[in-house]
Amino acid sequence: MIQTLALLNAAYRELNARKLFWVTMAISLFIVAVFAMVGINEKGLSFLWWGFEFEIVNTQFFPREVFYKFLFANFGIGFWLSWLASILALISTASIVPDMVTGGSIDILLSKPIGRTRLFLTRYFTGLLFVTVQVAVFTIASILVVGFRGGSWEPWFLLAIPLVVIFFSYLFCICALVGLLTKSTIVALLVTMLFWLFIFGVDSAENLTLRGSIAYEMDLEQVQVDLDEAVVMGDPIEVTAPLLEVVERTQNSYENWSIFHFWFYSVKTFLPKTTETIDLLDRTLRKKAGLGVAFPDEGDRRGPRSGNMFGTTSYIRQRDIEQAAEERLDTRGVMWIIGSSLIFEALVLIFCCWRFLRRDF
Amino acid sequence: MVSETPSIDLKNVSKIYKGRIHALRNVDIQVHPGEIYGLLGPNGAGKSTLVKILMTVVRATHVEGTMLGDPIGRKSTLTRVGYLPEHHRFPHWLTGRQAIEFSAALCKISRVVRRRRTSKLLEQMMMTDWADSRIGTYSKGMQQRIGLAAALVNDPELVLLDEPTDGVDPVGRREIRDILVEMRDEGRSVLVNSHILSELELVCDRVGILVKGSVATQGTIGDLTADSQRYEVLIAGDAPNWLADFKASSVEVPDAGTKLVIPTADPESIQPILDRLRAEARTILSVQPFRESLEDLFLRAVTDPESGLAMKPGANRKRPPKAAPPSTPPGESGVGT
Repeated sequence: MIQTLALLNAAYRELNARKLFWVTMAISLFIVAVFAMVGINEKGLSFLWWGFEFEIVNTQFFPREVFYKFLFANFGIGFWLSWLASILALISTASIVPDMVTGGSIDILLSKPIGRTRLFLTRYFTGLLFVTVQVAVFTIASILVVGFRGGSWEPWFLLAIPLVVIFFSYLFCICALVGLLTKSTIVALLVTMLFWLFIFGVDSAENLTLRGSIAYEMDLEQVQVDLDEAVVMGDPIEVTAPLLEVVERTQNSYENWSIFHFWFYSVKTFLPKTTETIDLLDRTLRKKAGLGVAFPDEGDRRGPRSGNMFGTTSYIRQRDIEQAAEERLDTRGVMWIIGSSLIFEALVLIFCCWRFLRRDF
Repeated sequence: MVSETPSIDLKNVSKIYKGRIHALRNVDIQVHPGEIYGLLGPNGAGKSTLVKILMTVVRATHVEGTMLGDPIGRKSTLTRVGYLPEHHRFPHWLTGRQAIEFSAALCKISRVVRRRRTSKLLEQMMMTDWADSRIGTYSKGMQQRIGLAAALVNDPELVLLDEPTDGVDPVGRREIRDILVEMRDEGRSVLVNSHILSELELVCDRVGILVKGSVATQGTIGDLTADSQRYEVLIAGDAPNWLADFKASSVEVPDAGTKLVIPTADPESIQPILDRLRAEARTILSVQPFRESLEDLFLRAVTDPESGLAMKPGANRKRPPKAAPPSTPPGESGVGT
């Protein structure tokens, strides 16, 4: 315990000396403060003593508590914690492992009566602990704002703390691995960012192909109905033949989208699911905190003739595709999302420990 | 004569990096309780690797033996060992006091004890005034003092110091030398790696010289230089022709006169030569006993006997020579003969 506390204390002093930890904390609190300064009334929005009239954004459409919950879920978590604050956290913690394994420094640590695995894992979890502190401060401050300003005390917001830390840990394990192998903070940071970009790309591709396959699945149902109706009505071959051709073409499109989706989904299964981990909070808040998601309904009024971005033959609203996609995504279990991601992280950490154990310094 | 179990008893230590760089080859070294052992060698001889193996920083390819009675590599033994690495680097944001206390905490020393010991060591290293300044503001010598204090904070039975006087000024070196002697007087064993031979000569009870990963020689400085002991007698005029009767090994003719070199450590054995020189009314300019210095011994050990040049620095990268192919035709080899 003395050793663990000493490592923790040393890591705290390191982060403290780098200032970035406090800068990130200050920015987090500033964002919460801005969040508290924004108000909503029956006419529109307000910021401090200034008022801005809005036709849609007012308490007639958005109850006050929903407005603050929406701000927290979409901007606080979806934008600040899962993007900007995570990048700052990565920058401030990326040096934890490379600094440890640098010559002269590692000699001091390894020559002490502490096991290498414990040493490595303590340093690793120290990094996560500091991110936990950052997220906890932001979340608790946000709960207070939503409570006092929105009049709704929502304990489910606390779920943001473990989810954001778990999300961050997927990236931090890669940062630790590269830092261990290269001893370079810059390389560790760069590779982690690229990895993040890669999994974001895979996730986006999987989401797109999921929506594509859903769109053509709906399209196929519709054109099949049209064909069946034509057959039942006894329409001539001149009418049914083009419909049959459309059914076949739609069937092909559906299969193509489905195959691509299958491959992206398979690849994603073995990778950390950063977006879906954060979306678990959104999913929970929708169910538990009454924070429904409004899908854009633009397909009804303007946009492509098909009503969606996939160019289906039938008129299928983007909104319906999004809703169906959300329903599919909601069926994905927590074990698949977090469990498989944590297995990935565990494998990376096992490799790190093995490498750290075997390496000469 | 030391009768206790050696503090370090190493046998057949080998380290091969990447399957081809032989950093250490079958090294045998013993360090006894209460002695200062100097480990010498040119750059890349394997001194630091050997110390790092003892401190579990590097894993040996093969090692037998014990440290403080425990097998090499046992982590729990390290609570009783102090270590100052070469080019050690404490985080620059820590103060000297924090760095020493951090080392103590990693050795599982309680807060009260580590605070007391840290203050005492800071005083001993004359760093009390700078104790609460950040290490980043320290000179190299000050950092070395903090490193030394950190190595001693667990009150170790055995201390391994890798270039402890690196970057330290002459006054500081003397102080470090005094600390080494103090540690020995307290019964601790000390193993020191250093390039500064004159310093080691002053404090080391025994030395070992590593050359290209092998122990070229080890023992007390007295034993190792015993063969080099001689008397040099400087006389005026030519060398006498009867010197062969006294087994005088050589005669040199410097500007001042003729030098007779008599290889012996015994002053009695040169008396007959002096008597005869006086009997011949020769003028004896000087009589001086000589003994090889540690530096001479070191240079002799690192000089290639074939070329007469100092061996190149670094570990031996060559693979051990393979057995020569049999010169006899196949089927005629004398297996079992």
